[in-house]
Amino acid sequence: MSFAVPTEHYLLLSAVLFCIGVAGVATKRNPIVVFMCIEIMLNAANLGFVALGRHFGDVGGQIYTMLIIAVAAGEVAIGLAIIVSLFRTRETIDLDEADLLKL
Amino acid sequence: MTAHLGTIAFVSLTALTILPAIMVVSTRNLVHAGFWMLPCLIGVAGFYALLEAHFFVVVQILIYIGAILVLIMFALMLTRDVMDPKERQTNAMGVWAGVICGLGLLASAHMLFRHPWVGVTSHPGDAHAQTVALGKALVTRYALPFEAASVLLLAALIAAIVIAKSMRPPAASVGCDGEVSGG
Repeated sequence: MSFAVPTEHYLLLSAVLFCIGVAGVATKRNPIVVFMCIEIMLNAANLGFVALGRHFGDVGGQIYTMLIIAVAAGEVAIGLAIIVSLFRTRETIDLDEADLLKL
Repeated sequence: MTAHLGTIAFVSLTALTILPAIMVVSTRNLVHAGFWMLPCLIGVAGFYALLEAHFFVVVQILIYIGAILVLIMFALMLTRDVMDPKERQTNAMGVWAGVICGLGLLASAHMLFRHPWVGVTSHPGDAHAQTVALGKALVTRYALPFEAASVLLLAALIAAIVIAKSMRPPAASVGCDGEVSGG
């Protein structure tokens, strides 16, 4: 049984999802919402990998999806630790306030 | 008949994924944003089912919804009162971010549809055969990336503990010189 949805539709959907994530990362001021948007972007990449892996009949797409999921889990752990550390140092987690490295 | 079913499933899963993603970006309430992540991730799991990547339906629900989203919600509940929800939630980049994202989307759509794609040639096996092939590939051809991912995960978790651990007494509020007293 095959559901004949063309691969490019999956890739376009993946691009839309990725752009939504980019817009969120670029505009939000709360770092946790930024992390959610990064998760959306990683999900978009995963979807593209799985769709292309299926298109070409290669198991590599699914392998890299698995690696991305591992990276995403590590990224969330690091990110939450950075938020905790940021709040301890600056007493706020507002990303507009965290401009210590800005020239 | 199955083609129609596939199209209907694709369109409804698209709505289930894209609309919550837009809500995550646009809503002002942080907890609502966290809960809007849920249908978005479930929609992606549905796409995996549609792509016949059965193993990743389970992985998506277990890891993304069961672990990552719960962790994010946990952090959200902890820091909910730090930022006033009545305050502005976005920075001054809104218009430019929208313009750049729209242009990027148009460019990628143009590149996608510039040439016609050949139809799906591969027919993936059933769930059992596919998972067996995935497991075999993980320990043979892709053994090195797999081990690297394991080491990365371990390093990330240790680093998270090191970053989040603070020996500083909370009363001693210091400036932003980044000084860390000994571990």
